[in-house]
Amino acid sequence: MAEYKKTIGIEIHTELKTKTKIYSNSVNGYGKTANSNVNVVDLGYPGTLPTLNMEVIRLALKAALILNCEINRDMHFDRKNYFYPDLPKGYQITQAETPIGVNGYVEIEVNGEKKKIRIHDIHIEEDTCKSIHYKHHSFLDFNRAGVPLVEIVTEADMHSSEEAMAYVEKLRELFLYADISDCKIEEGSMRCDVNISVSKTSELGTRAEIKNIGSISNIGRAIEKEAARQIALIENGKEVEFATYRYDEKQDETVIMRVKEAGNDYRYFPEPDIPFVEIDDELIAEVKKTIPMLAGERRERYVAAGISLLNANKIIQNRNLSNYLNKFLDSGINLVIASNLLLGDISAYLNKMGTELENTKLTDEKFIDLVQKLDKGDINSKVFKDILDDVMEKDTTIDEIIASKGIKIINDPSALKTIISNVLESNSASVTDYKNGNTRAIKFLMGQIMKETKGSANPELVNKLLEEELNK
Amino acid sequence: MSKYLDLSIVEINKLLKEKKIKPLDLVLEAFDRIEERKDLNAFITLDKERAIMKAKELEDKEVDNLFFGIPIAVKDNIVTKDLRTTCASHILDNFIPIYDATVVEKINDCHMIIVGKTNMDEFAMGSTSQTSYFGAPHNPWDVQKVAGGSSGGSAACISARLVPLALGSDTGGSIRQPSSYCGIVGMKPTYGRVSRYGLVAFGSSLDQIGPMTRNVYENALLLNVLVGRDDRDLTSSHKEKEDFTRLIGEDIKGMRIAVPNFFVKEDIVSSEVLNKLHEVIELLEKNGATVEYVDIDYIENAVTLYQIIAMGEASSNLARFDGVRYGYSVEDPKGIDELYALTRGNGFGDEVKRRIMVGSYLLSGENAKIYYNKALQIREAIRESFLKVFEKYDLIIGPNATTTAYNLGEGLDDPLKTFLDDILVIPVNMAGLPGMNVPMGFGEGHLPIGLQIIGNRFDEALMYKLASFVEKELDLELNPLEVR
Repeated sequence: MAEYKKTIGIEIHTELKTKTKIYSNSVNGYGKTANSNVNVVDLGYPGTLPTLNMEVIRLALKAALILNCEINRDMHFDRKNYFYPDLPKGYQITQAETPIGVNGYVEIEVNGEKKKIRIHDIHIEEDTCKSIHYKHHSFLDFNRAGVPLVEIVTEADMHSSEEAMAYVEKLRELFLYADISDCKIEEGSMRCDVNISVSKTSELGTRAEIKNIGSISNIGRAIEKEAARQIALIENGKEVEFATYRYDEKQDETVIMRVKEAGNDYRYFPEPDIPFVEIDDELIAEVKKTIPMLAGERRERYVAAGISLLNANKIIQNRNLSNYLNKFLDSGINLVIASNLLLGDISAYLNKMGTELENTKLTDEKFIDLVQKLDKGDINSKVFKDILDDVMEKDTTIDEIIASKGIKIINDPSALKTIISNVLESNSASVTDYKNGNTRAIKFLMGQIMKETKGSANPELVNKLLEEELNK
Repeated sequence: MSKYLDLSIVEINKLLKEKKIKPLDLVLEAFDRIEERKDLNAFITLDKERAIMKAKELEDKEVDNLFFGIPIAVKDNIVTKDLRTTCASHILDNFIPIYDATVVEKINDCHMIIVGKTNMDEFAMGSTSQTSYFGAPHNPWDVQKVAGGSSGGSAACISARLVPLALGSDTGGSIRQPSSYCGIVGMKPTYGRVSRYGLVAFGSSLDQIGPMTRNVYENALLLNVLVGRDDRDLTSSHKEKEDFTRLIGEDIKGMRIAVPNFFVKEDIVSSEVLNKLHEVIELLEKNGATVEYVDIDYIENAVTLYQIIAMGEASSNLARFDGVRYGYSVEDPKGIDELYALTRGNGFGDEVKRRIMVGSYLLSGENAKIYYNKALQIREAIRESFLKVFEKYDLIIGPNATTTAYNLGEGLDDPLKTFLDDILVIPVNMAGLPGMNVPMGFGEGHLPIGLQIIGNRFDEALMYKLASFVEKELDLELNPLEVR
């Protein structure tokens, strides 16, 4: 018997990170006192008119370019008319006829296989206000009304929950890196609607829409649950209803919200209050310049520099660290050491102090100096740990910090040779072990030497000299 | 009672400067006149207390411009901070705005004093002001007649000399037609000339605010104040400010004037109106202007296009009146659907509901393509045809209305009649051009007949030149009280 095939399309609404709203000069901010970022335009008062925030156009254009879209050069806005209490004007100003970008794609990778998910379009629109229901009352918070959004609509190109999750994760990573949106699914700055149908044949089944799924892992679960529900219906000879669902995390199932009426009539027409916007080569070139190196390229470069894939991904998850590391991509320093420092002691320090890199005294020069000293063995990781607080908190150079701590690095081979001879003499059993082929004994001996020098010996040099001595 | 308000703005300004009168004298006189002509029902809301207060405040200020201390009336679809703005609708009859329209800021900056808000058709939908929730205004030339619409209250209060200045709005003739019926000067500027911010939207791509005054010169002066780019209205033009009075009084010799054949069709325009038009044409030719007849493509379809575009846009623009945030809201509705249905059902009048329904239908499903998009295309063709005429001619003239003002109560049961009344004024809105009315005579019952002057985009100054010539040559007595 043929297997059921899932067909999945995803619509994602993402709030753009702008200073002000899209059609008014109210502040675009999350988590403020209800109805504090609001003016008469946001409230849809009579006689008010929309303005157009060009920052929104630039960010949306950036998003469209990242999604490999064709750009609609002569672009306008449309009104989508419907009644709902969260819609102050009785219409939403959106783009129906001329979305800023069309026919794009996003490349995902699932189980080592690469795949292009086609983007039908990306368009600009305004968010509605937020309804809060309490007992039998409803309250409206207009802070969100007019917050700029882009909606990204895929073709129905995904066929598994893994692909769907990979797509959303990829889109999130792209937008985060390009500084387009916060992409906080939990706070609602990124909202995912999933359309899913199942079929055994090439003919698509009736789809269900699962609205506003609250996390990427829930997208996977919701798809599996909904697919199972649809398959069970079909197997029992029933029909799948064209309807809208939400995913209930506690019950781990999709719950029906409303049955869709065929042909929703939004009475779209071109917004007469906003003239056409021309997107010219100059603007496109200007916006292209603002696209930073994206996650995919970062990963490739990190791995090429010898950083493990695991560590590369860890750095990419933290855009600040990644941006910091990127400053040194072409500096010639050892990026493996640099990435280890950033992920290890430096991250620990930042977490402990609850601060960010840019708020510390770690200058680029100091960072380069540190990495080089570690690389050459001028200092070792123990010394590094000892001086870290000073490095982060003082204006002085690394050399000055080392000097002030009274730390001397023993780089003199003859001095080291004496210490090594002494250690070998008092640990003759280990020397015998080594000579009998137990190579691990060398680590013990190294440790003893470091202990003897209180960690101030150049480890590479010690290693070299020790091997020479043992192999004599 | 003093008679300062019969003087010209320039004369009043001189008296104010010489401290012979105070702004308070003007304001009190205006309210006396308004009180005396309450029968005209020209105003929906008066703002006497604050007007007096403002007039007193002005006593300490320098008379710094021609409009200083002059009383002005504002159409009730233009929002005024702290002053009720109803759009002549039940749904807004408790609406007190917390912000001023851009034009209101401008008139306040010149220290004009707003005396009140004028009566109009509900949401400017009508041609007689009879769809007003507050009853129709009357025509000062004959109180049995309509004042026209939708800016009927503004036209009536200028005609009756209650105040010297008023603001109107024109979506499909709503400044020019009542100006014609009431014998005053009214200008609908080029679309984009005057900011629409604070004008309660009817047909957004057509709406334009304009000045309504006793004479041409004062109209041009008031337009000087109203124009200019406003960043709050993206459709407002970046055109530099200019002095619209600058060509007034110049010789019209050599002017090339076109008359659309459609404007002189005998089955459309009444003979008394046509006769006056022909007299004016003769006058112009005698004074060295050339007048020729032209065809304008699709001009006969303008009313149909207007119905599609204006009603489509209106159905969307009026969606915000839902009883949630401001205005009338039905008490204790059972759920949101009932809140909408009863608030809008009780709040809007019949004509508004009719237009919302037709507009919604026109934008519904495939209809948007069949009707709205098609209408936009033909509208573009009309515009191009007009612009072609302006390649050869300086101005276009014709009548503003097919007849003089008709009886109150007439045509109320005929929704199409009011549109056909506007057959001569609507093409101008379709093309986004400036159009104005200047009185050109009187018909039966001594009712005013108006001349329409249409200019190329941003050519208002040239229109004022011709209008002032006609005004001066005809030298009509335009104060109904003087005639009686």
